[in-house]
Amino acid sequence: MPLALAALLCIACGFLLVSLGWLCRAPRTDDLLLRASLSVGYGLGIFSLTFFLARIYGVTNLVAVDLVVFALLLVSFLLLRTRAATSAIVSSTRQEIHGPPLLHRILTSAFAVALCVAVYSAILRTLAHPHGDGWDAFAIWNLRARFLFRAGTHWRDGFGPLLFWSHPDYPLLLPGATANFWIYLGHDDPAVPAIIGFLFTFCTVGILFSALSILRGRTAAMLGALALVTTPFFIEQGTSQYADVPLGFFVLATIALLCLHDYDSVNPFYSPRLHALAGLAAGFAAWTKNEGLLFLCAILAAYFLILVSSKILRDASPQPRQERPHDSWISFATLLAAVAPAFLLIAWFKLSIAPPGDLFSDPATTLHKLLDPARYWAVLKWYVKGFIRFGHWLPIPGTLVLLGFYWVAGSREGEEPALGFRSSILALILTLAGYFAVYLITPYDIYWHLRFSLTRLFLQLWPSTIFLFFVSYPGGAKAPVPGR
Amino acid sequence: MLPAFTDPHMHQISPRASPKFTIATSVFIFCCLLSTVRVLRDAPSPGRRQTNDLANGSDQRFAALKAALPPQGIVGYIGEPGDPADYYLAQYALAPLIVDHSPNHPLVVGNFPLSRPANLSDHLHMVKDFGNGVLLFANKDTQ
Repeated sequence: MPLALAALLCIACGFLLVSLGWLCRAPRTDDLLLRASLSVGYGLGIFSLTFFLARIYGVTNLVAVDLVVFALLLVSFLLLRTRAATSAIVSSTRQEIHGPPLLHRILTSAFAVALCVAVYSAILRTLAHPHGDGWDAFAIWNLRARFLFRAGTHWRDGFGPLLFWSHPDYPLLLPGATANFWIYLGHDDPAVPAIIGFLFTFCTVGILFSALSILRGRTAAMLGALALVTTPFFIEQGTSQYADVPLGFFVLATIALLCLHDYDSVNPFYSPRLHALAGLAAGFAAWTKNEGLLFLCAILAAYFLILVSSKILRDASPQPRQERPHDSWISFATLLAAVAPAFLLIAWFKLSIAPPGDLFSDPATTLHKLLDPARYWAVLKWYVKGFIRFGHWLPIPGTLVLLGFYWVAGSREGEEPALGFRSSILALILTLAGYFAVYLITPYDIYWHLRFSLTRLFLQLWPSTIFLFFVSYPGGAKAPVPGR
Repeated sequence: MLPAFTDPHMHQISPRASPKFTIATSVFIFCCLLSTVRVLRDAPSPGRRQTNDLANGSDQRFAALKAALPPQGIVGYIGEPGDPADYYLAQYALAPLIVDHSPNHPLVVGNFPLSRPANLSDHLHMVKDFGNGVLLFANKDTQ
C-alpha cells in the first residue's frame, strides 16, 4: 500500500508538471498516452530532486516535502490553465501513409505480438534479477541508493574517495528516486529499482508510439515502436537497472517535444511551453547520467546553430515563414531557462559533493592521445562495428533493416524539415561526436572501454534515432501539405 | 483502405502507399518478428527464477555480520584474490558502512565464499565466523 501511494503521488506530480506545459492538441488516446508516458519520467525526476534537496537541507519528513511539491504543482496547474490552453482549438496537419488493409492488419498483429513478448521477457528478467542484471546495477546505481537511504544524515559517506570504483560522480536521478520510494516503504525493497527500470523501458515505447502517431499517424507509430520493442538489447538493458534506458527516455522526450512544437507551430496562440518541458527533460537527462550532460550541451548548441543558420538563410530568401523569427528566439530562451535549474544543481553536486570524475583524471596525456591517429582509427572501427552489430537483432541488425527500409521505400519529399527536427538531428550527431572525443582521451585501455560501453551509449540514442527516422520516414505518394 | 483518422480539429492527409513502401514494410515487419524470437529465447525460464541473483545471496550471507558491525564508519576487507565482484557485493550488502579493500582498519571483514583464509597476517585475529565464508577479524596493529 505505501508503494502504491508513493507511486500515485510520483506520477501525479509528473502529470501535473507535464500538464502545466501542455498545449499540443492531438487525438485523445495519443495525447493521453504521451502525457502518461512522460509523467512517469517527470514524476521520478521530481521525486529524485525532492529527495536530494531534502537530504541537503536535513529535512527528515520526506513525505511532507513530496506532498508540498504536489500541492504547489496542483495550485500552479489550476492557476495557470490559460485561455490559450483551454480554448485554442487549432487545425493542424499531419501526413499519414495508409497501406493496403491486409498490411495494416499484419502490422497491428505483429506489433501486438512483439509488445506482449517484450513485456513477458521484461517481467521474467526482472523476477530473475531483482537487484539488476550486471555489476553496474548494484556496484553503482543501487549502491548509491542504499547509501542515500540507509545512511540518513551521513548520506555524504557514499561519495568518499574510498568508493572511487563506484563512480560517485555520477548524477543521482535513479538513486534519488529509488531512495525516495524506500522512505515510504521503510526498507530498501529491491522491487523499487526493478519497477522503475521496467517503467522507463515501456514508457519510452509509449512516448515513441504516441509522439509518432501524432506526427505521422498510426502506421509510422507502430513501425517505430515495433523496431524498438524487437531490439533485444533494449529489453535486456531496460530491465538490468542500468541508467542507459532511463537516459534514452529523457533524450527521446526532449526530441519528441521539440518535434511536437514543430507540429504545433501552426498555432496562432504561440507558446513556448513545449520548449519548457523539453528543457526540463534535457535537464533530467543530465541528472540521470554524465552522458546526459553532454546531450544537454549538444541540444542547446544544435538549437542555437540551427537558429543562426536559419536566420542567415531567411534573410537571403524572399519566402514568408510560418513561425515568426522572434518566436524561435523566445523558444531558445525558454529552453535555456528550463535547463538552468538542473544545470546549476548538477554543477553544485559536481563541485561540492562528488569527487572528480575519472575521465579527465590524466590531463597530462590528453593532448598526446588527441594527436594519436591510431586512437581515431580504433574508435572509428568500433563505431562502424557497433553500428552494424547494434541491438543483438536476429539475424539482420536493426540498423541495417532501417537503412534497407529507407533505401527501398524511398525518401520523403515536399517538406523542409522544421527547426526542432533539424536541431534534434544535429544534437544526436554532436552527442555521438562527444562520445567519440571521450573515447579518444579515456584514461582506460581504449579497447576495454569501447568493448564495455559503446553499445550502451548507442542504446541511449536508439529510441530517438528510430523516432527521427520515422518522423522523416519514407513511403507513400507525394502529397501536398497545406499550411506549410 | 482503413478509415482515416477523424479528429474534427485536424486535417488528415492520407497519401496512397507506393508498392515499394508496401514491400519495404513487409520485409521490415518480417525482420522485426525474427528478432522477437530472440527476445523470447533470451528471456529466463519461468521455472528458474532467481538462480543468478548474486546480490540477493550476498545480502543474506552478510546479514548476520551487518548486525554485528557499527551502523556507520569504515571497515577493512580481505577476500579471495582475483575477481573483484565479491568485494563489490560485500560493499553492496554492508552499505552504508564503507568497506575499504585493505586490512588496515580495526575491524576487517573476511569474505571467503570458496576457500578457507590462508596466509593471513599475524596482526589479524578472528573475532567470529558467521558461516558461508563470512568472517570478522580484528587488526591488533590498529587498535
